[in-house]
Amino acid sequence: MFQSVEDVQQHFKNARYIANRRISTVVFLAERMGRPVLVEGPAGVGKTELAKTLAEITNRRLIRLQCYEGLDEGKALYEWKYAKQLLYTQLLRERIGELIADAPSLTDAVARISGQDDAFFSHAFLAPRPLLQAIESPDPVVLLIDEIDKAEPEFEAFLLEVLSDFQVTVPELGTIKAKNIPLVVLTSNNARELSDGLKRRCLHLFIDFPPPDEELAIIRLKVPEVSERLAQTVVTAVQRIRGLELRKAPSVSESLDWARSLVILNADALDRELVESTLTMLVKHEKDLERVKGALDKVLTDLG
Amino acid sequence: MDQRILEFIGDLRRAELRISPSEALDALAASTEIGLESRETFKAALATTLVKESRDYATFDRIFDLYFLDLQALGSGLKKALGPEDPRIQEMLDRLASEEGLEMDELTELMLRGEGSDMEMAIREGGQTAGLERLMYFLQTGYFSRRIYDKFDWEAIERDLSRIMQMLEAKGMDPGMLARIRNYLDLRLEAFRKMIRQHVERELERRAYRAGERLTREVLTDKPLFALSPDEVAQMKAVVARLARKIKDALAMRQRQEEKGRLDSRRTIRKSLQYGGIPMEIRFRRRHREKPKLVTLCDVSDSVRNASRFMLQLVWSLQECFSRVRSYVFVSEIAEVTQAFNTYTVDRAIEWALKASPVDYHCRSDFGYAFNRFSHTEIESLDRKTTVLILGDARNNYNDPQAWAIRQIRERVKGIIWLNPEGQWGWGIGDSVMPLYAPACDIVKECRTMGQLVEVVDQLVHQWWRRGR
Repeated sequence: MFQSVEDVQQHFKNARYIANRRISTVVFLAERMGRPVLVEGPAGVGKTELAKTLAEITNRRLIRLQCYEGLDEGKALYEWKYAKQLLYTQLLRERIGELIADAPSLTDAVARISGQDDAFFSHAFLAPRPLLQAIESPDPVVLLIDEIDKAEPEFEAFLLEVLSDFQVTVPELGTIKAKNIPLVVLTSNNARELSDGLKRRCLHLFIDFPPPDEELAIIRLKVPEVSERLAQTVVTAVQRIRGLELRKAPSVSESLDWARSLVILNADALDRELVESTLTMLVKHEKDLERVKGALDKVLTDLG
Repeated sequence: MDQRILEFIGDLRRAELRISPSEALDALAASTEIGLESRETFKAALATTLVKESRDYATFDRIFDLYFLDLQALGSGLKKALGPEDPRIQEMLDRLASEEGLEMDELTELMLRGEGSDMEMAIREGGQTAGLERLMYFLQTGYFSRRIYDKFDWEAIERDLSRIMQMLEAKGMDPGMLARIRNYLDLRLEAFRKMIRQHVERELERRAYRAGERLTREVLTDKPLFALSPDEVAQMKAVVARLARKIKDALAMRQRQEEKGRLDSRRTIRKSLQYGGIPMEIRFRRRHREKPKLVTLCDVSDSVRNASRFMLQLVWSLQECFSRVRSYVFVSEIAEVTQAFNTYTVDRAIEWALKASPVDYHCRSDFGYAFNRFSHTEIESLDRKTTVLILGDARNNYNDPQAWAIRQIRERVKGIIWLNPEGQWGWGIGDSVMPLYAPACDIVKECRTMGQLVEVVDQLVHQWWRRGR
């Protein structure tokens, strides 16, 4: 699919995603080696976006599994539509009656009904959830397992099995093997340590806050309305704010929001008043807000 | 190259990165996919297959740089040294080989035509036979460079060189040009010699690094906390952060395990209506979740300063994870610091608690008085779910120990855990009143080193909070 690491980088760039060397290398290897990618990093640096863009440039469908506490197999893999099964049995009662009406013995009747097993345990009564969808899909897909750290460790263990063989067993139907190995991207905010087994299976990618030039490129790409000079000052200011000791440092998504709001406000340079009134776009914590306001002089000097 | 990567992995393992065999295989496969053209990409490929914790990246970077020479820089350095003649002379050698049937020794070929990476591989092989693994001191670099140097058959190379020169002379080349070519060939040989020396120096650096790493690791976790330098304190902070996370994970897991309780008949019947009265889905009563309540009392007098520092960091992280942690510090007066810990960042909170909290730092520690005050003012807020965690050396400066106060506290709570940063041999000697307090505590542990703190936390997680409710 990809010729080289540079090719990956170019594709991402065309899809308006700045992928540095490391990101492109990992994506390239994931595709070549058929391995899942585990992406870690602070919130808002584009982990989920990476998966979405990957789906876009490979022309694959994106199947997303959002993890949360209490997520279980039933919600991730498949569920039986008991109600539908029951309803069908009720509706078809007469047909079933006909079928066994002339059965000479009970054994015979049971045999006849079990001959129809397939009608009751078929795909029609199976509600596939994201994991099964990804495995069953006739076309190759990108499977995004978002915020895996929010799910329980037990779910992780279960996932391990799916990710190593790309097959699942539905007792009533048998084993379903993936027709195409999906590209799997897992993201984690590091709310808890993931198990070693999962990490071992995956290629690991850590995306940190980007260096200034990369962030500038991202802003220029995503918010083209912003002038070169304003973008430059935004980046410098954000990088300085990250240097302050905050509970939650502003991320790339926040600097994008900020740049956008500055464009809407028709600003062409940053001054104190403007920054103070738009600061909530950047810093979301009450305590952090105070801290940044206190340090605004330092942030705003020599912005160029 | 594979050999090289495996050795590199060996060194990563020695630096305490956990790398499984399957990950090592992945790294080899990835390097095959990627090739060696770009050092950056090669590095990224190894990193993604071998490093699975972001905190290990720094170690990886350091060892990578020791291991893999910047081949590109080396190559371009060589090119620069050789000047613009390089491509022309290479071409000429090509012609000689094809037209005149020039045959060179393998080694000469390598030295005159080879790329940086090939040369490096040859030197490494030479190093293995020269017993480079015995290299230990800087003074040995010359000796070992010489030994590797001697592994190569320089006479054969010299013979080849003069043969090339003769061939060129026979072709009627003018003497000026001949001199330039000779000069070029010598330059290449010189570059090779330099690489040998570089290789030995790097090897030495790698060894020194290895030994140094091991030393710090062994010593730091077993070094008494009071003896840690500010630098070492900073290093140990990461260890405490990991501990806090461990506690958090273990407790979260336990809460979930307890979630399922007895059958909830009311909700099961309600749900069965959906399926025509058949109890298709069975509902369970949720068990009451017990959130561990924790009260920490931390001695912040000078004698236990470093230990308190780590304890406070642990307390701060615990407060991050749990809503029901209350923290106190004392010297003789006791003060609650929960609020401040919730507001400040970790470093500030610790500095504040050690220097600026509302207790008097200049008096002598008096555990008896502190416990007395605590039991008077806070006893109401203690209950059977509360665990009290005390950090202190129990050196009471001959004040009244007032052991009844701690016994009274014990009657109200789930248990008392005492961590003593002083060695066990000192308990009860001089002004230490540990033996008087110990009977009221459920667990009393010596907590003199980071290694011991880790052990204590392990025990808390695996036995204390797991045991009954």
